[in-house]
Amino acid sequence: MDISGADLIRAACFLGAGIAMGLGAIGPGVGEGFVGGKACEAIGRNPDEAGLLTRTMLVAQAVSESTGIYSLVVALLLIFVV
Amino acid sequence: MEEIGSVPQWVFNIAGHQMVLNKETLIMTWIVMAFWVLFALLATKTTKLVPNPLQSAAELLVGTWDDLVKDSLDLSDRRYFPFICTIFLLFWISDMLGVIPFLSEPTKDINTTLSLGVMGFIVAHYSGIKFKGFKRYLKDYCEPIFFMMPLNIIGELAKVISISFRLFGNMMGGSIIILVVSYLIYSLVLPPVLYAFFGLFIGTIQAFVFTMLTLVYISVQIK
Amino acid sequence: MDAEFIVKAGQYIGAGLCMGFGAIGAAVGEGLTGGWANRSISRRLEMASPFTRTMLVGQAVAETSAIFALMVAVLLLFTDLSGNGICASAAAIGAGLAMGLGAFGSGIGAGYSSLEAIWGASRQPLVGGQMTTTMLVGQAVCQTPAIFALVISFLLIFGNYSGIPAWPYSAALIGAGFAMGFGAIGSGWGGGQAGGAACEGFARQPRLKGALTTLMLVGQAVAQTPAIFALLIALMLIAMGPKEGNLLVSCAMLGAGISIGLGAIGSGMGNGITSESACKAVSRESSVTRPMMTFMLVGQAVGQTPVIFSLMISLMLIFGNYAGPPTLPGAMALLAAGISMGFGAIGPGYGNGITAAKACEALGMQPDKTGLIMRTMLIAQAVAQSTAIYALVIAFVLMFVV
Repeated sequence: MDISGADLIRAACFLGAGIAMGLGAIGPGVGEGFVGGKACEAIGRNPDEAGLLTRTMLVAQAVSESTGIYSLVVALLLIFVV
Repeated sequence: MEEIGSVPQWVFNIAGHQMVLNKETLIMTWIVMAFWVLFALLATKTTKLVPNPLQSAAELLVGTWDDLVKDSLDLSDRRYFPFICTIFLLFWISDMLGVIPFLSEPTKDINTTLSLGVMGFIVAHYSGIKFKGFKRYLKDYCEPIFFMMPLNIIGELAKVISISFRLFGNMMGGSIIILVVSYLIYSLVLPPVLYAFFGLFIGTIQAFVFTMLTLVYISVQIK
Repeated sequence: MDAEFIVKAGQYIGAGLCMGFGAIGAAVGEGLTGGWANRSISRRLEMASPFTRTMLVGQAVAETSAIFALMVAVLLLFTDLSGNGICASAAAIGAGLAMGLGAFGSGIGAGYSSLEAIWGASRQPLVGGQMTTTMLVGQAVCQTPAIFALVISFLLIFGNYSGIPAWPYSAALIGAGFAMGFGAIGSGWGGGQAGGAACEGFARQPRLKGALTTLMLVGQAVAQTPAIFALLIALMLIAMGPKEGNLLVSCAMLGAGISIGLGAIGSGMGNGITSESACKAVSRESSVTRPMMTFMLVGQAVGQTPVIFSLMISLMLIFGNYAGPPTLPGAMALLAAGISMGFGAIGPGYGNGITAAKACEALGMQPDKTGLIMRTMLIAQAVAQSTAIYALVIAFVLMFVV
């Protein structure tokens, strides 16, 4: 199979997209899980403040999500734009 | 070993479209249904104050699930209880059917688990719309931030897929493991232990998990 | 190049991979056991010899997965597989990967069980004998993934591949090795942590032995599910792997193996730490025993969603239709789909496990707030799974749009 330059670049783009989204999902997954865990623990200590604690948890998880979104954007760029 | 890939099927044509039915799955499901109908008839034949063993078993099952449904749903009427309890009964005996010679689990087929998963999904969302009203139901998809809406929608579909595939994967995996190990060790000693582990132990746990998750998803939609 | 040389080369590489990876887990596990045994002895000098005995027994069980790896490595070194066709080379490499990586998690997990057993016995010397039983039961269940890996290795080594062309079936065999090898890590390690927590709980509250053992066994059994999925995919790749096809099919098979293999790590570990936390909570607050079982199961089940995504992607890659022309970009896209979903399920799986673990702990502190804590846990797990959903979306895009 003779591989042209353009083909090689496309192939590398796809591989890069997969690696980007794959490895990029590790961090936010663990981080958001940790936030959720501590939120459950906090609710266990203080069940009456559940609303405030849940809201804070969601905000924290959304912020931790940001690097995951960067990975998603880079992966989509690699697939469709580059 | 070749029987891993083959699925016995009935194929027939209706109005130009091809209908494919998995023969083995259908027959096994009918056997499970027959078992429970028979059990129900025998257990409730003569309801005495001091129950016979079948009736006590039935009371145990019904009582446990009634408590679980009441804990999760906080409803004064028990509308969801028959549905939830039936799912558990169906899957519990289906998972254990493989232990009996010449029978196999209908939950080994993704059609069984997926159809009940979709059924639970429809019940949950229909209840959600009925209890909360259509507007609030739609608004809940935008929790906590508007951008989460596509993720929430995919998350709901993911719930259906995850409960169905979990039960399917466990049962299919168990039956294939038993097949391969029996082939490797010439069916000596080990297969009954494996059947007990995968069919009885893991089958019960996974049936319970499927039912509890359906119950929890319904309760999340209603609240 | 003769097929014989290629096969032998594969065998030797496989043997190296097998023993190389296989030595890690058991050694770490035994080291943990030995270290904590010493600490326990320093706490209770008069119990030095029972502790040493328990330590040796625990270490012996942790050793079993390394012994499996040694067995497979020696088999690979000295059996002549060159009569089995050229795919035997890839089969040997796959077998080495499967057993080597598969021994990793079980070795460390078994070490956790025995270290908690000895440390617990140092705090509660009178339960020594029963503690050993609980420890052995916990260790035995967490050896299960290593046994799955052994079964796959044997199937790979002793298969007859004569007449089958090298590719794509070799890719399917290596994919099977990846799937079972990586897939066994999380479940073995996680199961071991659950066993350790049961031993610790037993030391705290000896009268809770039955409840703790049941909770541990159920939790470990559910934590084995990702390894069962990996075994399923490995068996499908071996038994139903395509005997003919082009580069697309090869990369799809590799991708399928990587997807479920890596994907099972996170959920396996996550389920294990959930079960660990459940056992610990029950030992501190025995009134939550009944609701804790349900709670732990729900937390574990939802935490398995990422590995189920991986299973789905693996199944789609195996049963996909690859009629198009074998271009390099197309093939890389399929491989990248597997990589994306495989790595992408590690983090969310482990994170969901942490959430569920802390939720079990919270339930121990507030036994009557089951509904509130469960709802919070489910919301947190659902949000933490969003990156797994991104990886799933990218995998779909790579498989179908490109």
